[in-house]
Amino acid sequence: MVESSLPVLSLLVVLPLAGAIITFLLPRRLAVASRWVALVFSLVPLLLSLYLYVLVWTAPAPTATPGYLSAESLHFEEDFEWVPSLGISYTLGVDGMSLPLVFLTALLSCLAIVFSWSESRRPKEYFGLMLVMEVGVAGVFMALDFFLFYIFWEVVLIPMYFLIGIWGGPRKDYSAIKFFIYTHVASVVMLLGIMGLYFQCRDALGHATFSMVEMAKVAPTLAPGFQCAAFAALFFGFAVKMPSVPFHTWLPDAHVEAPTAGSVLLAGLLLKMGGYGLLRVAIPVLPAGAEAAVPVMVVLAVASIFYGALLCIAQNDLKKMVAYSSISHMGFVMLGAATLSPIGISAGVFQMFNHGLVTAVLFMMCGVFHHSAGTREIGRLGGLAGKVPVAATVFLVGSLASLGLPGLCSFISEFLVIYSAFVSFGAWMWIPVSAVVLTAAYYLWAAQRVLFGKFRVDLPESERGRLEDLHISEAVALGVLIALIVLFGLFPSAVLDMVNPVSAAVGGLFGGVG
Amino acid sequence: MAAGFGELLQLLADNRHLAPELILAVFALLILGLSLLVRDRRVLGWFAVLPLLLSLFLVAGMMGLLDMRLVGFSAFAGPVNSALAGGALAVDSFSLIFKFVFLSVALLVVGTSISFLSQKDRHVGEYYALILLATMGMMVVASSQNLVPLFVGIEIASLSTYALAAFRKRDILSAEAGMKYFIIGATSSAVLLYGMSILYGISGTLDIGLLSRRVGEAAWEPATIVGLSMLIGGLGFKMAAVPFHMWAPDVYEGSPTPVTVLLAAGSKKMAFAAAFKLFLVGLVAARADLSFALGIVAVLTMTVGNIVAISQTSVKRMLAYSSIAQSGYILIALAVATKTAVAGGLLHVVMHAFMKGGAFIAVAAVAWLVSSERLSGYKGLSRRSPFLAFCMAVFLLALAGIPPLSGFWSKFVLFSGAVGAGDWFVWLALAGVLNSALSLYYYARVIKYMYVDDPPADAPPVRPGPSPYTAVLVIALAATILIGLYPQPFIDVAMTAAGSLVP
Repeated sequence: MVESSLPVLSLLVVLPLAGAIITFLLPRRLAVASRWVALVFSLVPLLLSLYLYVLVWTAPAPTATPGYLSAESLHFEEDFEWVPSLGISYTLGVDGMSLPLVFLTALLSCLAIVFSWSESRRPKEYFGLMLVMEVGVAGVFMALDFFLFYIFWEVVLIPMYFLIGIWGGPRKDYSAIKFFIYTHVASVVMLLGIMGLYFQCRDALGHATFSMVEMAKVAPTLAPGFQCAAFAALFFGFAVKMPSVPFHTWLPDAHVEAPTAGSVLLAGLLLKMGGYGLLRVAIPVLPAGAEAAVPVMVVLAVASIFYGALLCIAQNDLKKMVAYSSISHMGFVMLGAATLSPIGISAGVFQMFNHGLVTAVLFMMCGVFHHSAGTREIGRLGGLAGKVPVAATVFLVGSLASLGLPGLCSFISEFLVIYSAFVSFGAWMWIPVSAVVLTAAYYLWAAQRVLFGKFRVDLPESERGRLEDLHISEAVALGVLIALIVLFGLFPSAVLDMVNPVSAAVGGLFGGVG
Repeated sequence: MAAGFGELLQLLADNRHLAPELILAVFALLILGLSLLVRDRRVLGWFAVLPLLLSLFLVAGMMGLLDMRLVGFSAFAGPVNSALAGGALAVDSFSLIFKFVFLSVALLVVGTSISFLSQKDRHVGEYYALILLATMGMMVVASSQNLVPLFVGIEIASLSTYALAAFRKRDILSAEAGMKYFIIGATSSAVLLYGMSILYGISGTLDIGLLSRRVGEAAWEPATIVGLSMLIGGLGFKMAAVPFHMWAPDVYEGSPTPVTVLLAAGSKKMAFAAAFKLFLVGLVAARADLSFALGIVAVLTMTVGNIVAISQTSVKRMLAYSSIAQSGYILIALAVATKTAVAGGLLHVVMHAFMKGGAFIAVAAVAWLVSSERLSGYKGLSRRSPFLAFCMAVFLLALAGIPPLSGFWSKFVLFSGAVGAGDWFVWLALAGVLNSALSLYYYARVIKYMYVDDPPADAPPVRPGPSPYTAVLVIALAATILIGLYPQPFIDVAMTAAGSLVP
C-alpha cells in the first residue's frame, strides 16, 4: 500500500477537467492557445501518473499475496461521502490492475493532443473535448465506488459523440448517433445489474453501499442464480464496449468516421473500459456468474478473434481494417479473462495495455496516409514507401507489433493468453491460434499493397494530398509510442509484475494456481 | 372586538403552516386590484414574483432545506408535520415537496412571462392573478387528506389554467389549445368526481386515510371496479398518461410558452400528487391489483411518448411528447409502490420541473432569438448564442438521464426502486432504461443541430443584446446542475415523504 498526503488520483481527474473548462472559456480570438492549455493540462497528469507508477513499482512488495481489493493492494486511496443515505461515496484508488491503464490513459490523451497539434477546425472545442474524455476514462479506471464508476463511464460518451459528430467524415451523423445510442443502451443495462447487485449486497451487509471493496467481499456469497443474472447484465454492458462479436457493429462505423485522434482514444482507451470492467468487477465480484458464463465468454472471444480477423482481410479501407483488427485483439482480452486463471488475467490486462499502444500507432498512421495521399483506400494506393519513407517505416513497425512479432509488446500478451487458454480449454484453441496467421496475412498484405510496389495514388490530381512525410508533432507522438512498444516488448515485466499479484488474487477465487 | 381579533390571530398562528397558500391567494386579489391602477406589465410581473419568493422561502424552511432559526422564522422551522382543518389538510414532507415544485415552477413561469408578454397583450393583471391562483390550487391538492379539498384544489388549478392556455385568444393556436384543454379538462374532472362519488358511496367516508380500510372490505364489487377505473381515467387525463394523452401535445404547443411550462411542469404534477395520495394511501387494499394496470399504463405512456417524440420537427411539440414519456417514468413509482420507488417518483417530479421547465423556457428564448420553434431553427445555435445552446444541451441531457445531472439521480432512484422490489417490477425498470436510451435519440438530435451543424447561410440575423430570459434560465440551469452534484438534501426529503406514504 502506497499512500500520498496529496489527493493525487483526484488530480488526475481534476487537472484535465480544469483544462477543459479553461479551453471552453477561452475567448474565440485566443482559440489557437487552446492547444497549449490542452498540452499543459494533459502533460502534467502524464508525468504525475508516471511518477505514481514508479512509486508503486519501487515500493517493497508485500510478503504474502494481498487479497483482491484489500487495503494492502490499493494505493493512494481517497474516500469522501457523497450521498450517504444511498451509500454513494467518492472513492478513488488504484492497484496493479488499474495503474497501467491509468498511465495508458494519460499517455494516449497527451499524445493524441500532440498528434492533432495543427487541428484548425474549432480547436477550442476539439481540445476541450479530448480533455473531458481523459477525465471520464481516468475516472473509470480509478473509481472504487460502483456508482462513481458508472458516472465516469457515461461521461465518456458525450465528448466522443461530439468528436465524431463535429470532426467526423461524411457519414458522421449516423455514426455518432449509432455510437451514442448503442453504447448507452449497454450502459443502462449494466446499470440495472449494478442496481441488483446493490440491493442484494445491502440485504446481505445490512447497510447500503456502492463500494466495490465491500461488494467484492460480500457478493461472492450471494445466491448463484442471482450472480448469473447480474453477471449477464454487467457482461452485456462490458461486451458491447469491448466490443465483442456480435455487439461490435457500432465500432467500425464510429472509427471510420471519427477524426484520427478520436479513433486513437476510442480504440486505445474506450475499448479498454469494457475489458477493465470485466476483469475488475464482473469476474471477481460475481465468481459464480463468471464460472457459469465461461462457455459463453470463450465462444464470443474466439468468434471475435477469428471473425474480426476474417473481416480485416475483406476491408479495402485501411482504417476500417485497423478497426476490425481491434475486435480481433480485444477478443484475446476476453479469452484471457475467460480462463479465470492468474496468467490469463494478467495477459488480458497486458494485452489491453499493448493494444492501446499499438492501435494508437496504426490509427495515427491511417490519419497520416489519408492526409498525405488523399485516400485511405488500399486499392488506390501503392509504393508509398518511396515517397514517405519515415511514415512507411512507422506503419510497418506498428503492423508487425500488431501481428505479434516477437520482441514487440503484443507478442508476449497474445502468447500468454493462448498459453493459458490451452491450459484451460485444451486443443480447441487451435482456432484462435490460426487467427494469428490471418492477422499476419492481412497486415502484411495491406502493407505490401500500400507501401511497396510501383508508386500510385488513383485519385484525380485535385483530390490528392501533398505526399508529405510526418510532421514534427506527429513524429513526436509516434516516436514515443514506438519506443514504448519496443520497451515493453523487451521488458514485459514492467507491467506484468504490477498486474500479477492482483490477477493471482482474482484467480485465487476460482482455485487457480499461479 | 379585541377578543375577536385575538382569536383571529390565534387562528392564523395555529394554521401558520398554510401561510404559503394564503399569501398567494391574498396577492392574487391584490394584483387584480393593482392592475386597475398600474398599467406597466413589468411592475405587475415583479409584484407576482414577491409572494412566490416569500412562499418558496417558507416552504423550503418547512422542508428543512433552510435553517429557519437562523433568520428568525423558528415558527416555520422544518421538518414540519401537522394536520390542519380538522384533518382535511396536512402539511408534511410529501405535500411540501410538491409545494416546492409548484412554487419553483410558478416562479420560472412568472419570470419568463415578464419578458414574454408584449405590449399587445391585455389583461396582464388577470394573467398573473390566475398563475398565482393556479399555483395555490395545486398546493391545496398536495396538502389534501380528504376528497373534497382534493377536488376543489384540482378545480381551482384547472379553471385558472384553462383561461391561461387561451390567454392569447386572437392567436388561433392558443384559442384552440384553450378550447381543447377546457373540454378535455372538464370531462376528466367530471369522470374523476364521479369516481370519487362512487368510492364515497361504497365507503361512506371522504377521508383518504379511512377510504383504504373501507374499500378494502368491499373490494372487487363491480361498483369498486367502476369507481377505480374512473379514478384512473380522470387522473390519467390530467397527467396525460397514454391512452388519455391526445390533448397534451396540441395544448402544450398552442399555449403561450410560459403557460406551457406551468402545464407541463406544474399542473401535471398536481395530478401526480393526487394519484400518489389516492393510490398509495387511499387504496392500499386494492393496490396489488391496481399495480399491474398502472404498470401497463406506465410502459405504454413512456414508449408512446418517446416514439412519437422522435418524429417531431417542432422542438416545443417534441418536448410535449417527451413530457408524456416522463410521466410514464413517474407512473412506475405508483406501480411499484415501495419506499425507494416512490422516493424516486417524487424526486423525478422535482427534477422534471426544473429540466423540463428550463427546456421550454429555452424554447421561448430561441423563438425570441431566431423567431423559430422548428428544429431547423436550432442549426448552429452554439455559434449564434453559446449560452442558450449550452442551457438547452444541459436540460436535454438531464432529461435523457445522463449523469451527473439532476435527471439522472431521480431516474436512478426510481429504477433502482423497481429493481429492488424484484418480481416483475424488474421488467418495468428495463422498460424504463431502454426508453431512456431511446429518448436520447431525439434529445441528441437537437444537440446535434445546435453544436454540430453550421448555421444556414440564409438564417435570419440574431437579435442583438442579451436574451431577456437569461435570469430564469440561469436559475433552472443552476438547479439542474447543482442538484445533480449535491442531491443529498432532496433525496433525504423524498425518502422521508415516501416513508410516510408507504412502509
